[in-house]
Amino acid sequence: MVSLKKLRPLTPEFLDSIGFHWHTDTDETPYVADEAVIVTEAEAEAYYEAANELYDMFVEAGEHVVKNDLFHEIGIPFNLVDVVKKSWENDVHWHIYSRFDLSGGISGAPIKLLEFNADTPTALFETAIVQWALLKANDLNEAAQFNHVYEAIRDNFKRLVVLDGDLEDFEKYYRGWKVLFSAAKGHIEDENTTKLLQKMADDAGFHTAFAYVDEVEFSEDEGIFYEGEQYEYWFKLIPWEAIAIEESDLARILTKIIENQKAIVLNPAYTLMFQSKAMLKILWDLFPGHPLLLKTSFEPLGVKQVQKPFFGREGGSVKILNEKAEVIQSGEALYEDQPCIYQEFVKLPRDEAGNCYQAGLFFAYEGCGLGYRRGGEILGNMSKFVAHIID
Amino acid sequence: MKHYIKKISTYAMVGSLGAVAMIAMSGCEKKEQGQSDAFTQASQKQGAFVVIDEVAPNQYKIAEEYPAETTRVILRKLDGSEKILTKEELDALVAQEAKKIDEGRSALTNPELSSGGGLGLGEAILASAAGAIIGSWIGNKLFNNPNYQRTRQRSYKSPSAYSRSVNSFNKAKKSKSSTTRSRSGRSGFFGGSGTRSRSTFGFGG
Repeated sequence: MVSLKKLRPLTPEFLDSIGFHWHTDTDETPYVADEAVIVTEAEAEAYYEAANELYDMFVEAGEHVVKNDLFHEIGIPFNLVDVVKKSWENDVHWHIYSRFDLSGGISGAPIKLLEFNADTPTALFETAIVQWALLKANDLNEAAQFNHVYEAIRDNFKRLVVLDGDLEDFEKYYRGWKVLFSAAKGHIEDENTTKLLQKMADDAGFHTAFAYVDEVEFSEDEGIFYEGEQYEYWFKLIPWEAIAIEESDLARILTKIIENQKAIVLNPAYTLMFQSKAMLKILWDLFPGHPLLLKTSFEPLGVKQVQKPFFGREGGSVKILNEKAEVIQSGEALYEDQPCIYQEFVKLPRDEAGNCYQAGLFFAYEGCGLGYRRGGEILGNMSKFVAHIID
Repeated sequence: MKHYIKKISTYAMVGSLGAVAMIAMSGCEKKEQGQSDAFTQASQKQGAFVVIDEVAPNQYKIAEEYPAETTRVILRKLDGSEKILTKEELDALVAQEAKKIDEGRSALTNPELSSGGGLGLGEAILASAAGAIIGSWIGNKLFNNPNYQRTRQRSYKSPSAYSRSVNSFNKAKKSKSSTTRSRSGRSGFFGGSGTRSRSTFGFGG
């Protein structure tokens, strides 16, 4: 049973003032719960260890895909294969941040990987800032949280320059390279999540700017420009597969820009491999029976299972199937044309009221912060964010 | 276990945005008209956000400082309590310190008085970025004093707090270099605008 601590909620005015405008869902209920999940020190430590171990496994699986040319098998669009390979070859294409979605980890349930949001993870603002502010506003010990997301991502921006070296050497090697941050126009959550990342890069010591993606100029031979200024790095909170499918010209130009070493695009294209749910099957092939993994196949499993499209989001087209592969429950039909994986069903931990909890664990060079989503068995866009407190 | 989870214990861990959040929470911030938030304000940084820690009874060090829209100083006392210093309190402390400088009784300018530990509260404020703003009327007798410059470095809780501060303020001051040139670039990708308020990109199911 998930235990909760009641909190005084943050006011919409306060949340607006820090730029967190998506505090109220379309049904007028608050998106951030006025409760925190109580986590023990040992549970937090186990999450941290799990994130680090899982990331290493993904890197090994990525190597396996590249070496055996399995891009088609895991659903990488053909027009991104070159840029995925190119980005994989060199560490300057540094992975800034990502989020593991996990079941278990609390109330005695073992940690199991559900999926990996490696390309454009959100819930960043909630995890890094809002849940910290919740403790602060409730006069609770702000250190009683597994949350150094802000610092970890800031430091990871420094690693664009120092790589695996000493962070203190950033100023020695930094030559004024600029990072341009972009989101699509008209989506305030994406925009301010991107601006939060920009602030982290700013605090790291980079020169930065923000531009909506449609205002950015791309040139195969010259690189990436905004208002006449060239940017060495472009961070986009736009999924790589959206670039491949909706703007294939951009996919082609970015491939050239990266080949010509005119700019580095973040998160790197190889994170699309990690993002593909087909990797969960690759992982099961490479690490069969691993305690952090659920059995996963491209075919129905013959047990209660979850069918997930390779690049689905927000529970779209996710289906819970029984052992005969009959649909018991399904999310909104959004990605019906995508290939799917079948993942062994696992019960999410529940609270007294019967709500399900899924852990979101941020990773930036190492596990760096925990948050929860609460909802039904399939977590969709209407699920709530729940903070945590270590007790 | 080789690595222990780092948990939030300083404002550095939520960075300059945490500073904004702290001020908003304290209710000190005057409400701006219109759609102003932590990101829309970010462009004009005339002030400094400073966190000063009491490291021993009446001994202080600068824990964090960031460029900010308006100048604020937060004092974290030994018992863990926090206090935002008002403008009146800051002015009084700076005025008091100015008098000590004139009389040669301030550790900021008189090396014989500096102890190994922290500074007095007025000294710490003047050593911080906020001091350069609030105490600007003290002028050259302080800021061109070589001992002041040395004390300033030592007044930070850690070397990284000092270098982070120098770094962020230099950047706020520096004018943008412009490398305008002709291009054959393309733009307008993802130009068709939607009206979603919540992301549909971020979450898996």
